[in-house]
Amino acid sequence: MEPVVEIRGVRKQFGGLTALERVDLEIRAGEIFALLGPNGAGKTTLISIIAGLLRATEGEVRVLGKDVVRDYRHTRRAIGLVPQEINFDPFFTVEETLRIQAGYFGVELREERLVEILRALDLLGKRTVNSRALSGGMKRRLLIGKALVHDPKVLFLDEPTAGVDVELRRSLWEYVRTLRARGTTVVLTTHYLEEAEELADRVGVIDRGRLLALEGKDELLRRHGAKTLRLVLDVPRAEVPPSLAALGGKLEEGGAAVAVEVPAGEGFGPVLRAAAAAGLGVKDVETRRTTLEDVFVRLLAGGQARGGR
Amino acid sequence: MISLGLRTLFVKEVRRFLRVPGQTLLSPLVTTTLYFVVFGYSLGARLADVEGVPYARFIVPGLVTLGVVTNAYLNSASSLFVMKLQGTMVDLLVSPLSYGEVLAGFLGAAVVRGVLVGGVMWLVAGAFGGFELAHPLAAVALLVLVAVVFAALGVVTAIWASTFEQVNFFPTFFITPLTFLGGVFYSIEMLPPALRRLTALNPIFYMVDGVRFGMLGISDAAPWVGAAMLVVLAAISVGGAYAMLRSGYKLRG
Repeated sequence: MEPVVEIRGVRKQFGGLTALERVDLEIRAGEIFALLGPNGAGKTTLISIIAGLLRATEGEVRVLGKDVVRDYRHTRRAIGLVPQEINFDPFFTVEETLRIQAGYFGVELREERLVEILRALDLLGKRTVNSRALSGGMKRRLLIGKALVHDPKVLFLDEPTAGVDVELRRSLWEYVRTLRARGTTVVLTTHYLEEAEELADRVGVIDRGRLLALEGKDELLRRHGAKTLRLVLDVPRAEVPPSLAALGGKLEEGGAAVAVEVPAGEGFGPVLRAAAAAGLGVKDVETRRTTLEDVFVRLLAGGQARGGR
Repeated sequence: MISLGLRTLFVKEVRRFLRVPGQTLLSPLVTTTLYFVVFGYSLGARLADVEGVPYARFIVPGLVTLGVVTNAYLNSASSLFVMKLQGTMVDLLVSPLSYGEVLAGFLGAAVVRGVLVGGVMWLVAGAFGGFELAHPLAAVALLVLVAVVFAALGVVTAIWASTFEQVNFFPTFFITPLTFLGGVFYSIEMLPPALRRLTALNPIFYMVDGVRFGMLGISDAAPWVGAAMLVVLAAISVGGAYAMLRSGYKLRG
């Protein structure tokens, strides 16, 4: 299947600062793609180039096979962008704001579609309220509404849930899933690793303008992740029994527990057998799976070591 | 065929200034009334006719031009600059509107405001000095061209400016002095030769003079000079604004 977005050798220079260094990336149709990276990594720069807010210094970006600079009218119709910074026009109400944005895209916003968007974003009761009078969370939801009025094929969400409370975040995630189910491709940048872990099919990790990893979330977790078995002992020990030490076991809490990490794809069988063979008295057993956050931190540390920072 | 996108931007821009009528329409009305009370009514009665026209009537074209210039400029400059500040410029930048449509939307609304304010001022002026329109088509066409020139300069300034001070720089240091020295309140025949030659370099003099021809049928220079200059200035300012939008200068990083 043809990718929805193709990024080839994109570089972006702001004066002496290189914000992106030859990034190659493809976004597939119908996926939720999460772009992760610390502040200043180049996430917003990259999606701004795709959406036409910035121009690449070098390289090429295609959306639905069309160049975003030469065929900008075509590509922008396919894109919805929810910017990171909240903006609002204090002259207009929620409904007017949505109708104006639809008009820019050459779309007459039908009543049913307007109501659907307002309902999905929990703004139906605010339809005739001036956008100035909305709370921060509502203003952010209105931004999402504006990005959806023309029914885009790809929706870019730049830090969509920053400053949004937990309940609303969950309902936005649900809506993102609904959009995907309808065939919308979703690209999101986020600081909340939990968000990417919850939503994303594929993950790109970016740091200092370079793409450090690009793969399915599950593969990423399997390849870079690990799981840990922690045995809480009935009697503290001074050292790890040799059978567990051979598997990489380490003492924790001053000898009150032994923890053994195994690759994400392997089982705990050998660890349990080694513990039984060593005659360990076990009071409790805990397991812990590496989160996307752990993988992210590890990748960044590796990338920085290679990059010499 | 005017696209829905362009119509939306134009209507939105017009509604924006109509939502604050006190600032956009009433304020120039008050200023004009004051001008007429002070210069036209009270002082004008003691002044001799200028080129055979009572002073209160002589100053009408210049004041109307000043109103059109200021309001056309302020509309596009402040609207676009505030959009930059508020971040709502993003809404336009991500849209499929062409550069020409974006420019036409801002210019269209600014021209409407400029001409609307000019019209209101003309009505107020008429109440003081009597209504007169010697060449109505010429007067309206020239005022529309004046509005286009200054609306485009407003777009250029708003794109370039990083602060409100920079937006106000142009009206404070160029528009107001050049308008006041451009024969709004006097005929250049009344000036010493040196100042007359200097005034001949002031483009706003030709605009005021051309509009005066349209309204009162009198002018210091040939009316076609003003018209030709306006066409050239409109082409330069609109072309410049279009080039800036197209290049993405200060808008698309």
